[in-house]
Amino acid sequence: MPPRSKEELRREAAAKVTGVLVYPSDLQQEEMLWVEVVRAAHPHALIKSIDTSAAEKIPGVVRVLTHRDVPGLNAFGIQLQDQPVLCYDRVRYMGDAVALVGAESRQAARRGAELVRVEYEVLQPLCDPEAAMLPEAVKLHPGGNILHQGHFTKGDVEEGFARSAVIVEDTYQVPMMDHAYLETEAGMAYWEDDVLVVDACGQYIYRDQTQVARALGLPLEKIRVRAPYSGGAFGGKDEITVQIHLALMAYHTRRPCKMVATRPESIISHTKRHPAKMHFKTGASRSGKLLAHQVRIVSDTGAYASLGGPVLNLMIEHAGGPYLIPNVKIDAYAVYTNNGFSGAFRGFGCTQVCVAMESQMDRLAEALGMDPMEIRLKNVLHQGDLAPLGYPMKLKVGIEQTLKSARRGKLWRERRRIKNQLDHHSPSLRPYIKRGVGVAAQMQGLGLGVGIPDYAEVALRLLPGPRLELMASTNEIGQGAYTSYALMLARRTGLAPEQIELKVGDTKLAPDSGTTTASRTTYAVGNALLLALDRLEERLGQLVAEKLSLAAPVRLRLQGGRLMGESLQIELAQIVDDQGVEAKATFHLPVQDIELGDGLPHLLYSYGTHVVLVEVNTLTGEITVPAVEAHLDGGKVIFRQGFEGQSEGGIAQGLGYALFEEVKLNEGRFLTTNFDTYIIPSVMDVPYDMRTRPVEVKEGSGPFGAKGISETCTVGVAPAVLNALADALGVRFTRLPVRAEDVLKSLGEKGR
Amino acid sequence: MKVSVNLEINGRPAIFEVDPEERLVDTLRYKAGLTGTKEGCGVGECGACSVLLDGRLVSSCLVLTASVDGCRITTVEGLAGKEGLSDLQQAFIEEGAVQCGYCTPGMLLAAQALLERWKRPTVEQIRQGISGNLCRCTGYKKIISAVRKTARRRAEKK
Repeated sequence: MPPRSKEELRREAAAKVTGVLVYPSDLQQEEMLWVEVVRAAHPHALIKSIDTSAAEKIPGVVRVLTHRDVPGLNAFGIQLQDQPVLCYDRVRYMGDAVALVGAESRQAARRGAELVRVEYEVLQPLCDPEAAMLPEAVKLHPGGNILHQGHFTKGDVEEGFARSAVIVEDTYQVPMMDHAYLETEAGMAYWEDDVLVVDACGQYIYRDQTQVARALGLPLEKIRVRAPYSGGAFGGKDEITVQIHLALMAYHTRRPCKMVATRPESIISHTKRHPAKMHFKTGASRSGKLLAHQVRIVSDTGAYASLGGPVLNLMIEHAGGPYLIPNVKIDAYAVYTNNGFSGAFRGFGCTQVCVAMESQMDRLAEALGMDPMEIRLKNVLHQGDLAPLGYPMKLKVGIEQTLKSARRGKLWRERRRIKNQLDHHSPSLRPYIKRGVGVAAQMQGLGLGVGIPDYAEVALRLLPGPRLELMASTNEIGQGAYTSYALMLARRTGLAPEQIELKVGDTKLAPDSGTTTASRTTYAVGNALLLALDRLEERLGQLVAEKLSLAAPVRLRLQGGRLMGESLQIELAQIVDDQGVEAKATFHLPVQDIELGDGLPHLLYSYGTHVVLVEVNTLTGEITVPAVEAHLDGGKVIFRQGFEGQSEGGIAQGLGYALFEEVKLNEGRFLTTNFDTYIIPSVMDVPYDMRTRPVEVKEGSGPFGAKGISETCTVGVAPAVLNALADALGVRFTRLPVRAEDVLKSLGEKGR
Repeated sequence: MKVSVNLEINGRPAIFEVDPEERLVDTLRYKAGLTGTKEGCGVGECGACSVLLDGRLVSSCLVLTASVDGCRITTVEGLAGKEGLSDLQQAFIEEGAVQCGYCTPGMLLAAQALLERWKRPTVEQIRQGISGNLCRCTGYKKIISAVRKTARRRAEKK
């Protein structure tokens, strides 16, 4: 790889390697209070009484707040406000907040929290989503326990199955997964004049502002939300975490208030990846053409809605993979239970269904005696084709290119040789080591989908110097978006990245650029900033015309420190004074012209094919992953190092999903509350041999041809692992994660 | 009861009055103002709070401040010299070993310690050296590359 120029490196990296960057958990102020949350003692119970008197007597405790102290709407939720800020009549999961304690020290706040006495009438928790769906089940919410359901039919699946030469059918189960960002939920709230400022981890500060204002009963302009650089998010900081609680304590005490979740509190209280049970039945012709696909999904959304509905819709949208299927029937349910609560997580529903769909594709290939790569290539969508749900794929479809890139890749091309490469083991062990190579292909909707407002507004200010300021509200959560913004501005203007300043993540300074989710920020903010640059140049053209007394505005382009017209060149300083010249623009993400549900479907997709090599010790059941290849179409790459980094991190998370990670609950109580029991991949579990091949299918509507990458880079990893395990062992696993004991058990069963 | 503790943090002497149960991570973050040291789990599993204690890599969430009287501590804030970033910090930037950056301080100290132990570490030795430090963003590859690059540069200098 050629040496990278300085501007292609992460902007804030120096502040991160020196430890000077202030994260939400690092915020401190004079006279600040520590806030601790009293959480539910049972996963399902009625609250009979709350007594705060003992807590209030603890030295250092300044204030204890309960539901009586919520001045506005005592509820929050991105779509449906069904989660209490502070519970009053009932608790529905172990993370439910019942009271807040503000104290001079963290110890005093903790001591106070222990002494808040809540009397409960304990109820039987609802832990089985199938049982919770039954009409006789106790209702967790007034509308019943089915948060959302989707039913879709295209063609006639029965007729399709009747024509099929092979049909494969199974039930797949995927676990609850924790985001496990290294920085837990944290922040600080304080008054600045008569505005309440909330500095906290977040992924959409304008929506956080709305949610805080609504709960406090204050007008929006009285709430300023900022989201400093935070220590990872992956969707887990999309919903409200600490913001309302912090604001509430600061509102009542008029003092700066700080919260940092402990790791167990983080795992218990925030959203998760939805556990799901998925029944898939797929039929194909003798030649391997998909003919019919029938799917039933039950997604456990836990105690509250958050984004459980849209996540289910993405499961429906992506349940047929990136394939052409004439007959499709899908029935899907998102069900309330007392099992924690689930919401947004990188992949957003696609992760779950891809596990099932890509297993199905391999099973069809096996049943037909076809090559797994060939059966996929035979069925992939092309531009103009109808997606599984029947709408046309209007934009360029890169799935075929990613598959072909994977087929050319070393792991696939040389898989027979690689599978027999066991020299690193002693001769006596070799017979017990099995290697396998698996592939998985997928597509991932980009942006929020049809029907959900999805836009990015940004502002630019050009100053003499030259200096260009970008105001955008989206957040840097590790993904590298801010570096991409600066690279796009630099590329378009000829300015050096250090001449570009970002004023970001602050409702006071930046307009609403939308969510930092759904792989959307490079695409959405990138398009918005290019539009704003056009406007800025128009404005400069007017100013030049005025200065030179020309009849009409001049068409100009900003080129470094100069303005270049067709017949003139002007130094910026002659036109722009210290006030600067500003321009704003809003980019609306293009959407499909049919709407099948909330956010369903998408117009834009990213595509990916993963190839995974696994090695299994059949004596111990131990699984290792020596190599992974990712062939990804996120459009044209803007920030190469960030692209690769996302991909490699996405692979690690996918391996965690496949092999290690499961939030375990027993009767609604969490059994895995820290990294000693909730195991995320360490460096020992992730191969150094990870290759990322950008398959750059230029997206015409994207900034410099770019789309997004942050989800498609992880979704295909787990099913590719399952397919590699099947290749190695001849055993098909249908439940994640696959652990050593599962391998041994299955080999034992196979032997019998 | 408070205990008086003398420490040398990043080459500078410091005295703290602490409760006997106060953790070193809290002393560093909330008394010394060195918030570069992070906390990720509180039980010594993630390595975000890693510091060097008399040159040895420790999880500062598992160390009681009162127990390390007279010790030398290096935190991430002590890695850069007067002439700027250390070679290791520079390599982390160049190789893209930093994403959200929350594991980075601990990772740098683990890398610093392993480079003391092995001058030209293999990939396996690097893995061993940072195996106590979790990262959720990078997949570790670029971190390993940054350590390898630093080792190579140090060897070339000699």
